[in-house]
Amino acid sequence: MKLLMSLMIGFTLALCAAGFSSKAQANDDPIVIGAAIALSGFVAPYDDGPLKGLQLAVADINAKGGVLGRQLSVVTADTKSDPAQGTNAAIEVLEQGAEMVMVTCDFDFGAAAALQATAAGKVTFSSCAGDPKFGVQGIGPLAYTMSLGTPAQAATLAEWAYKEKGWRKVYVQMNSMVEYFKSLCSNFKIRWEELGGEIVGEDVYNFTEVKSFEGQATRMKQNTEKDFVFMCAATFDGPSLIKQVRNAGENTPILASESMDGNFWLEAVPNLSEFYLSVYGSMFGNDPNPQINDYVAKYTEMHGQAPFTAHSMTGYSLMEAWALAAERAGSFDSDAIRQELDKFVNEDLLVGPTSYTPELHINLYRGMQIMEVQNGKHAPITRYTAEKVPPITF
Amino acid sequence: MIFLQYAIDALSVGGLYALAALGIGLIFGIMRLVNFAHGDLLMMGCYAMFMLAAAIWPVTILGGVVIAILVAVITERIAFRPLRSADPTILLAASFAVSFFLQNFVLMIMGGRALGVDIVPALNQHIVWDSLSISVLNLFTIALSVILMGGLSLFLARTRIGIHMRAASEDVRMARMLGVRVNLVVATAFAISGLLAGAAAIVVLGKTGLVLPTMGLRLTLIAFVAVIVGGMGSLTGAVIGGYAVGILEVVLGGLLPLVILPYREALIFTVVLLFLLFRPGGIIRVAALKERV
Repeated sequence: MKLLMSLMIGFTLALCAAGFSSKAQANDDPIVIGAAIALSGFVAPYDDGPLKGLQLAVADINAKGGVLGRQLSVVTADTKSDPAQGTNAAIEVLEQGAEMVMVTCDFDFGAAAALQATAAGKVTFSSCAGDPKFGVQGIGPLAYTMSLGTPAQAATLAEWAYKEKGWRKVYVQMNSMVEYFKSLCSNFKIRWEELGGEIVGEDVYNFTEVKSFEGQATRMKQNTEKDFVFMCAATFDGPSLIKQVRNAGENTPILASESMDGNFWLEAVPNLSEFYLSVYGSMFGNDPNPQINDYVAKYTEMHGQAPFTAHSMTGYSLMEAWALAAERAGSFDSDAIRQELDKFVNEDLLVGPTSYTPELHINLYRGMQIMEVQNGKHAPITRYTAEKVPPITF
Repeated sequence: MIFLQYAIDALSVGGLYALAALGIGLIFGIMRLVNFAHGDLLMMGCYAMFMLAAAIWPVTILGGVVIAILVAVITERIAFRPLRSADPTILLAASFAVSFFLQNFVLMIMGGRALGVDIVPALNQHIVWDSLSISVLNLFTIALSVILMGGLSLFLARTRIGIHMRAASEDVRMARMLGVRVNLVVATAFAISGLLAGAAAIVVLGKTGLVLPTMGLRLTLIAFVAVIVGGMGSLTGAVIGGYAVGILEVVLGGLLPLVILPYREALIFTVVLLFLLFRPGGIIRVAALKERV
């Protein structure tokens, strides 16, 4: 019994000593930034870029002397593309001392990790979740997203098509399997009709797997009124749809959103033309903004390959945002940083001017780069900002 | 004219589904194994073609088909042969394991990003005839499925091993007693199912232009539906089922009003439920599958 008592006392003392010593060292240790994201599995491609962007931002910040004189370091934990594993991944980075946590580029896949991280009192960013729920209303006051909100993306595309292209009649093609697509298409239709445009045809399909699109292509081709097709799809289904539409001899312009960013799928539709999309920035070294071309060059140097998509810029910018807010707050206290973030008005970040309010932790009025694809080549057209965004619903 | 357009679409989609259903039906007939990894054979074939895309197209597609056959034969040897006498439910579980393994193997090596590829540029063309526009790929699909189905029925009717295969599918134990080499027969059946998956891979890749580790899932499911509708264990049934599902899909896609369109797949699966409830044997009932008391 005595032995047991002395062992327990010894153990407790050792624990206290360890605790004190780690506190004593704390001011020299780097500040830990945690990424609780999908490193493996089907969501991994969407988180890969933002993580690499974040790592580049950390390297840039460290080279300039860190935040409040402290260096930053990045730790990661894998959600394995499983929303349920998000909680564990968040706990893993929090246990390693994460002061700020980045989660997956999607509300559904990032929410669990974000809930865990904000419950631990840490500011949490999603790189590019476009759902306005990712913020105060859906997660809590410490949750932010660097994305441009889906209603704003939809309005940007609608206004550009109507005002710059002079298109009037749209055929809307939607995949109803993903919330982002539904929100994108419904907000596009709202803004399109507000502008005075006409919806002359619609089609919906509902799955996430690769499949053939004979029916959709034939149905689309039957519609001869349309000026262009607005497509709510991503790179796992969109390229197949475009391929079959073009193979069927339908050459109407197609307009899509940032979920079609990247040229890794272009092989599916050789010499694709008359394809337009909005992106955070051009990853082909030809963006009108030289800062973005610099970013692509530095990213390529650091990671050995250019970013697949511009979503990686959101990982870079969330780090910029947090560092800026911490410098202004003069502290690493999460609540102080939150208050500074909530005061952001058109802060000049890599992704574009960024604002937050205590109620809204997603951006609605920030430009997107409109790109065109002609003969299989991406070229920037203009950076475009919506004038009016349909009211958001949470 | 629009009717003809839909008819060609339906025959092409149906042909693809029939090829997939044949692959599943063939293995089920002989082993009572519902091979859920069948779509993953197709996926492996597609990735092989993706990696060989730089070569001239006959090499690309031949490489894909050969890989699909190889993977089929290897999975039979490693995963299914040791379980041959096991309960069908254990075989089913094993096929899930094989499917899971193949998908994660590809995911690990190639990543989860959808990658674009164009294997046979000629298939992207379309022929315009009056108001009709027919894609070359659709004609190719229709021709390929007819040739393969014809070839398979000739093989089963005329060759020695084909006849052994039919004997084994009626009664494996009896066939073995009469001198049928079951190992050879089963391995051949798997090789043929790999060939069918490889052929389907050409069509799928030609249509979609994308490779993804999960790309086989949907086709497996549809083929399974086709096999149930057509009649478990009957190859003719599998073909009829494949065409029936393909035609249903295209017709529903063309006729349904917009509000119901997203539920098109649900309607197709409802048909399966109705079959399971009212005609569990499918369109063509197989005598060998009836329980003998």
